[in-house]
Amino acid sequence: MSDAALERYGACTLDQDGCVTCGDVAVPARVLALDAAGAQVEDRLGNRAVVAIDFVPETRPGDLLLIHSGVAIARIEGQP
Amino acid sequence: MKYVDEFRDPILIRQAAEEIRRLTDPGRHYRFMEVCGGHTHAIYRFALSDLLPDNIELVHGPGCPVCVLPMGRVDDGLSLAQDPRVILTAFGDMMRVPGRGGSPLEHKARGADVRMVYSPLDALKLAEAHPDREVVFFAIGFETTAPSTALTLRRAKAAGVRNFSVFCNHVTIVPAIRAILDSPDMRVEAFIGPGHVSTVIGCRPYEFIPRDYGKPIVTSGFEPLDVLQSIVMILRQLRAGEARVENQYARVVPWEGNVPALRAMAEVFELRPYFEWRGLGFISQSALGVREGYADYDAERRFRLPGVRVTDPKAAQCGEVLKGVLKPHQCKLFGRECTPEHPIGALMVSSEGACAAYYNFALRKGAPAGV
Repeated sequence: MSDAALERYGACTLDQDGCVTCGDVAVPARVLALDAAGAQVEDRLGNRAVVAIDFVPETRPGDLLLIHSGVAIARIEGQP
Repeated sequence: MKYVDEFRDPILIRQAAEEIRRLTDPGRHYRFMEVCGGHTHAIYRFALSDLLPDNIELVHGPGCPVCVLPMGRVDDGLSLAQDPRVILTAFGDMMRVPGRGGSPLEHKARGADVRMVYSPLDALKLAEAHPDREVVFFAIGFETTAPSTALTLRRAKAAGVRNFSVFCNHVTIVPAIRAILDSPDMRVEAFIGPGHVSTVIGCRPYEFIPRDYGKPIVTSGFEPLDVLQSIVMILRQLRAGEARVENQYARVVPWEGNVPALRAMAEVFELRPYFEWRGLGFISQSALGVREGYADYDAERRFRLPGVRVTDPKAAQCGEVLKGVLKPHQCKLFGRECTPEHPIGALMVSSEGACAAYYNFALRKGAPAGV
């Protein structure tokens, strides 16, 4: 899946193991599905991960989230 | 050719650069600090300084948590890994940060059980999978990262996990900005404010900057056009004689921040009376410790730590670079003894560190003399 919309929110992807700690590195990713563990998300390169959505209530499939260290910290509103 | 995003559109970028030139007073020198390492990285990677008039100087701020962590805290964390019961977990960028006796990666090579994780939640899973071991997470990061640690401790407590704890080194950005503003050798006219930290804390905590110091701050995204637009917004304020908090990154940053994340942080953490920052010294109420209610999950209470204090190598000038007094290449060790392959100062370790970013990107265009 090529998701050009994700590029508006930074170039980072889920497979990067670089500077996670820096407040700047948040990965934009789209929600594929929800389950008991959280949300399965996919970044612009097709990498997938399950992330916690405790801080982004009412997340739905199709939403764009910003992911930081395995946790969604923001939902991107007004997304294209 | 790959799709070119609107935030990297050369035409829009040229227009923003033109607007910056139009708004700049040629008789004035401007110094703007980008607080975040991510902005530093973007500025070097996209050579944004080349698009700016010569009288706009971008100064790199303290926004790289790896860079501001004193070496003594690294040693304290690594002392835990000497205990054969302990599995020490850390983020990837922490693995290369040198302590006195080597980095976590070097300790691992010598037999310590040090493992890289992408999330503190992964460290908690490791604890659940190894009930006979003590799993410690080496937590660092600003308010972007602290919520994930808070969530992990909440879950550990709820699940009754007994063999998990956190060595907490989370720091907060606002006291660091205040320390820079109060520093006698630091003169900046405005701030390019943190982007993703602000998704958590919002914009309100920055209001003291215009109110108490009369300087503008604009929270900014990380794409080239974001940074240039933020500079335009700063220049417009300066030209109008104003100082306000503005939000360039409104597509991600809510003014009030992420309230559930802030609640979790408040439940799990409390402000430490003071904390040492590399390069900036001790700053009061600038870091988070674990609250009494989560004391069982606090590695500093659970283990005996040596409380190591280490003076930085005298020749390294990390502090001056961190405060923006020196440019990375003006440090005596830059590119000689201190390189990304063999970092001496922490600013060379993290890819977001000013020195590593300068080394990796700015040098390609032509190295300063002697490098």
